[in-house]
Amino acid sequence: MPINQTDGTDQLLSASPTFVARTGSFFHRYANPGRFLKLGARLQPWLTWPAIAFTLVGLGWGLFYSPADWQQGDSVRIMYVHVPAAMLASGGYAGLALCGLLSLVWRHPLADLAAVEIGPVGACITALCLATGSIWGKPMWGTWWVWDARLTSVLVLFFLYLGHIALIRAFDDPQRGYRAAAILALAGAVDLPIIKFSVQWWNTLHQPDSITITGAPTMSASMLWPLALSTIGFSLGFAAIVVARTRAAVMESRIRALLSSPRRGGGAA
Amino acid sequence: MTHLPYIVASYGLAAIMALVLSLGAALRLKRDRARLTALEQTHNRNAGTPLTP
Amino acid sequence: MTRKTRRLWLVIACVACLGTAAALILRAFSSDIVFFVTPSQVEASPPPTDRTVKLGGMVVAGSVKREKHGETPVATFAVTDGQAAVTVHYEGILPDLFREGQSVVAIGTVQPPHEFMASEVLAKHDETYMPKEVAEALKKSGKWDPRFGPPPSAASWNNMTVQDASKTLSAPAAPN
Repeated sequence: MPINQTDGTDQLLSASPTFVARTGSFFHRYANPGRFLKLGARLQPWLTWPAIAFTLVGLGWGLFYSPADWQQGDSVRIMYVHVPAAMLASGGYAGLALCGLLSLVWRHPLADLAAVEIGPVGACITALCLATGSIWGKPMWGTWWVWDARLTSVLVLFFLYLGHIALIRAFDDPQRGYRAAAILALAGAVDLPIIKFSVQWWNTLHQPDSITITGAPTMSASMLWPLALSTIGFSLGFAAIVVARTRAAVMESRIRALLSSPRRGGGAA
Repeated sequence: MTHLPYIVASYGLAAIMALVLSLGAALRLKRDRARLTALEQTHNRNAGTPLTP
Repeated sequence: MTRKTRRLWLVIACVACLGTAAALILRAFSSDIVFFVTPSQVEASPPPTDRTVKLGGMVVAGSVKREKHGETPVATFAVTDGQAAVTVHYEGILPDLFREGQSVVAIGTVQPPHEFMASEVLAKHDETYMPKEVAEALKKSGKWDPRFGPPPSAASWNNMTVQDASKTLSAPAAPN
């Protein structure tokens, strides 16, 4: 099947079984873009609707039924937006780094498409984290912004996202953009432990984490529940949006492949 | 509520972001699906007829 | 070794090198990354009086004096890290979360030996989130005084619901 390839992914989009069989790789077999379209379409409602349900219940609970904090009063309700956004900002970047690894080592075409789509969504959620943090900081700390280790390292993460978005689109040959962006994603992952441990390694204005893997949460259970629900909701929502965008990206590659296919009457030369 | 504007601003920002991202993704998906279906139909129709020599 | 395995090791090596480099850099600049200095650090090596520093610590219980010079409120309070204390003078409105026993960060200059002229005071709240009623009940039962330190661990009061707390509040104070 002759196809004028515009980028490397289009080659795979013909979903030729011989190619899949030839590589025989686990990743290629289970996540090739053609299969992803089918899997993604089936997965989508299971992400989208629970995301909406969890987020609405979590945020509604946090906004109207959870108690006010003893010193922060009602401002503590900003937490139910800020904390999930902060977790996803780091989580999204970890996903980006994973895509980078899959792309560099296994030359996985789907990882490249996913990386293109995760970038803007991650940047948005990081911006939300920074904005809600700032809005929370003004009435509580008495300042919109300080250059402490936690705030600065999250700002660095935001710029890493922006750099990734720009880099992956910067080359005429998409493959070169994918490689460069994958390297940036992996290098930038160094920032993730810095963000996580910044509040322990250095003194900061930002308070240490209330929820840790090792210790019991230093938070009332009546606040922990809505926070957990909205975190699940935000995470599912992030996944739903990324899956939807990646499906669209696969379709767009397929459209490009069809348009450049000589079989199309009066199509490409 | 003492700091109502701050709370409203936070939740408002989150709602706007969620709406923009999800609507954007849904519309893009819808447009691409329609376009791909249309293209595949013409493609298959042309595939049935012999190519120009 | 296949090409994929080689690429994998290459990536791991690069990331490990980068991580080490970042760790060394952060270690070297560790003293610049800290957001504030503590009163005992100020006492041990007082910075020049014209340099702006950030002083962090807990507001000493009973040390807060609020006055009014004309229209501007003036506050004087001691900040401690447990080993040393510095007296902070601040003209202006303190943040809502400012109280005795709260952690604060004061931005200003050190006036030896133990004075600090702050141009800005930020409140630094801790990681404990607790309903108002529970905090009131803990205070009333004498289990915790927020002026003298952090609250007890959440596990000790997590089973205390808002209703329990309200009941404790309406009951006569527990004898200490």
